[in-house]
Amino acid sequence: MGVELPGPGLWTTSVGSLPKPEYILKARSRFARGEIDRDELRELERKATKEWIEFQDSIGTDVVVDGEQYRGDMVAFFAEEMPGLDIGGLVRSYGNRYYRKPIATGPVGRDHPLTVDWWEYAQSLTYKPVKGMLTGPYTICDWSFNEHYASRRDFVLDLAKVIRDEALDLEKAGARFIQIDEPAASTRMDELDLVIESMAIVTEPLSAHTITHICYGKFHEAYPKMLDIPVDQIDLEFANSEYSLLEEFSTDPFSKFIGLGVTDVHTHAIESVDEIAEGIRKSLKFISPEKMFVDPDCGLKTRTVDEAKEKLVNIKKAVDVVRSEL
Amino acid sequence: MAIETTVVGSYPKPPDEGQTFTVRKTLHALERGDVTEDDLRAAQDELVTTVIKEQEAAGIDIVTDGHARWDDILTPFARKMRGFEIGGLLRWFDNNVYYRRPICTDKIEWGGPASVEAFRFAQSVATVPVKATLPGPLTFAKLSVDEFYGDHQEFVLSIARVLAQEAFELEAAGAEFIQIDEPALLDAPEDLDLAREAIYVLTSELKSAETTLATYFGDAKRLGPELFDLSVSGFGFDLISGPENVQVIKELPPEKRLQAGIVDARNTRLEDINDLVREIEMLCSIVPHTNLRVSPSAGLEFLPREKARAKLTRLAEAARRVE
Repeated sequence: MGVELPGPGLWTTSVGSLPKPEYILKARSRFARGEIDRDELRELERKATKEWIEFQDSIGTDVVVDGEQYRGDMVAFFAEEMPGLDIGGLVRSYGNRYYRKPIATGPVGRDHPLTVDWWEYAQSLTYKPVKGMLTGPYTICDWSFNEHYASRRDFVLDLAKVIRDEALDLEKAGARFIQIDEPAASTRMDELDLVIESMAIVTEPLSAHTITHICYGKFHEAYPKMLDIPVDQIDLEFANSEYSLLEEFSTDPFSKFIGLGVTDVHTHAIESVDEIAEGIRKSLKFISPEKMFVDPDCGLKTRTVDEAKEKLVNIKKAVDVVRSEL
Repeated sequence: MAIETTVVGSYPKPPDEGQTFTVRKTLHALERGDVTEDDLRAAQDELVTTVIKEQEAAGIDIVTDGHARWDDILTPFARKMRGFEIGGLLRWFDNNVYYRRPICTDKIEWGGPASVEAFRFAQSVATVPVKATLPGPLTFAKLSVDEFYGDHQEFVLSIARVLAQEAFELEAAGAEFIQIDEPALLDAPEDLDLAREAIYVLTSELKSAETTLATYFGDAKRLGPELFDLSVSGFGFDLISGPENVQVIKELPPEKRLQAGIVDARNTRLEDINDLVREIEMLCSIVPHTNLRVSPSAGLEFLPREKARAKLTRLAEAARRVE
C-alpha cells in the first residue's frame, strides 16, 4: 500500500454511505418543495457530515468516509452535474422504492469537480485519511438509459474519462484512498472485460490506494477474473453470503487488498462481536491481516442512524478482539 | 390488415410528473398504520383502472393489469401457495430491479387463488380482453431456493401443479389469454425437457384459453427448435435484447402464434414509427400475419410512465399502418 497506516493490519473503514439523520431527510423534502434554499440544506448536510466524522473518530475508525449526507442516489448524484446526462422520470427498483434514472442524451463530460469540495471539508475535520468516493463508469452506464451512444462500450469509456478526471482532482486535493464503486460489475459476465478496460482508464494515472466495491451479483462466476480489475483493493460482501466466497479463495488465492464486509446492511439485526470476530478469523485463513480492511457489506444508508452506529461499533470491537490474537 | 398488439406484463406505477403518486403514499401511510389494507386496495384499483385505460387509449388490443399490485412476479404466488417463505432481495436478471427470492421449506401445495380476484377486477374495468400472466414453473424454481425437495425435477413439477390450478381458475374466471413467463429458460437449455413436462402439467387442463410462453432479456438460440414442442398456443420473444431471435422464429410451426417484442422496454429512446412498420413487415414475411402479435420487448416497468405510454402509442400506430 502506498499509504502508511498504523498497526498490524485489520483496519476498519466503511463502504461509503451512512444513514441520514431525521433532520436531513426533512430538510431534503423541504428543499424539494422549495421551502428552504440550497445554502440552508448544505449547512445541515455539513453538520451531519461533521457528526459522522466525529463518530468514526470516536470509535477509532482507520479510514473514514464522509457518509454521503449530500447524495441521494449514487448514480443520480453524478448524473445531475454531468453535461450529457439528463435526469429522467421515476422508475422502480423494488417494492415502494423508486429512483430517477438518468438518460444519456449527448456526449458526457465534466465542467467542474463534483466531489472535491465535500472531500476537502470532511478531511479538514479529522487527522484520519478520508476516502474519496466515486461511482464507476460501468455502473453509471448500467443504471442509466442511453439515447445517445451507439454502444454501451462507447458510453462507458466516455464516462471513464470523466471519472478519471474527478479522481485526479481528488488526488491533487490530497486524497490517498480513492474508491470507485462498481456494484453493477458482477451483473453480466460477458461485460467484465469492459469493467476492466474502463477501470484501467480511471486508475492508470493515480498513485492513491484504489478500491472498488462490487455487490449483489454472480460472484462465483466473476471470480477469479474480477482480480483483473486494475485496483489495489476489492471490497466485497461476506456476511450476506455467509462467507461462501472464501471457498473460491482456496483454489484461486485472493491477490489484492480486501475490504471484508462483515455485517449485513439489509437487516435490522445487529451482528454480535463474537459473530463478526469469527467471520474475520475464518477469512484470515485466506488473506493476511496486513492486506485486510474490515467494514460493513455495503453502504449503510438503508439502516437507521442507531443501527448503523451499533454495527460499526461491533465491527471495531471484533477487530480489536482479533487483533489481540495476532 | 391489422396486426394485433399486446404488452408483456408490467406497467410503470408512478404517475406523470406533477401528479400525486397515490399508491406510493398509501403504502407509506400503511407502514405508519395511518390507513388500512382496504385503502391500499382502493388506491391499487384506481391505478389498475388508469393503467388499463392508458393501454386502451394507446391502441393496445390485449392488455394486462400492469402488475399494479405486485412487487415482482414471484412473490404474490409464493406467498399464496403452501411450502414457501419469502427471502431476501436479489437482482432481477441483468436489471437494476430486484425481486424477493422464494425459499421452499415444505411440501408445495395449492393455497387458493393468488391472482384471480385481481384478474376479475381488471377485466371489469377493461373494454378489451385482459391477459393474465403467470410466472413459469422453471423460472420460478430457478429463482427460488429449494430447502425441501432436494430434487430439481420434483421441485419444478410441484410448482407447475399449483400454477396449473391457478391457470384453471383464471380460465374459469374468464381469462381468454394466459401468458406464462419463462425468461430463465433461455439460459437453461439443459432443462428444456423438464420445462416441456412442466408446461404440459400447467396447460393440459385448460379448455380454451390461448397460452403464450413468454421469454425476454435474451435469445432462444441455444434451445433449438425443440422449444416449439412445448404445449402452448404461442411463443413470445424479445427481439431487442435477443436480435438472434429473428433466426429462431423462422422455425416456428405454422400453427403457433408469435408475440414479437419489437419496442425496447428497457431504454427510453423512442422508436421511429417507420422503422417499426418495416420491422413488422419483415416479421410478416416470416410468419402468417394472422399469427403475429407485436409487443414491447419485456414488461414496461423499466421505463418512466410517459415513455412507456409513448412507446405503446407508436407500437399500435405502426401495427395499424402495416399493409
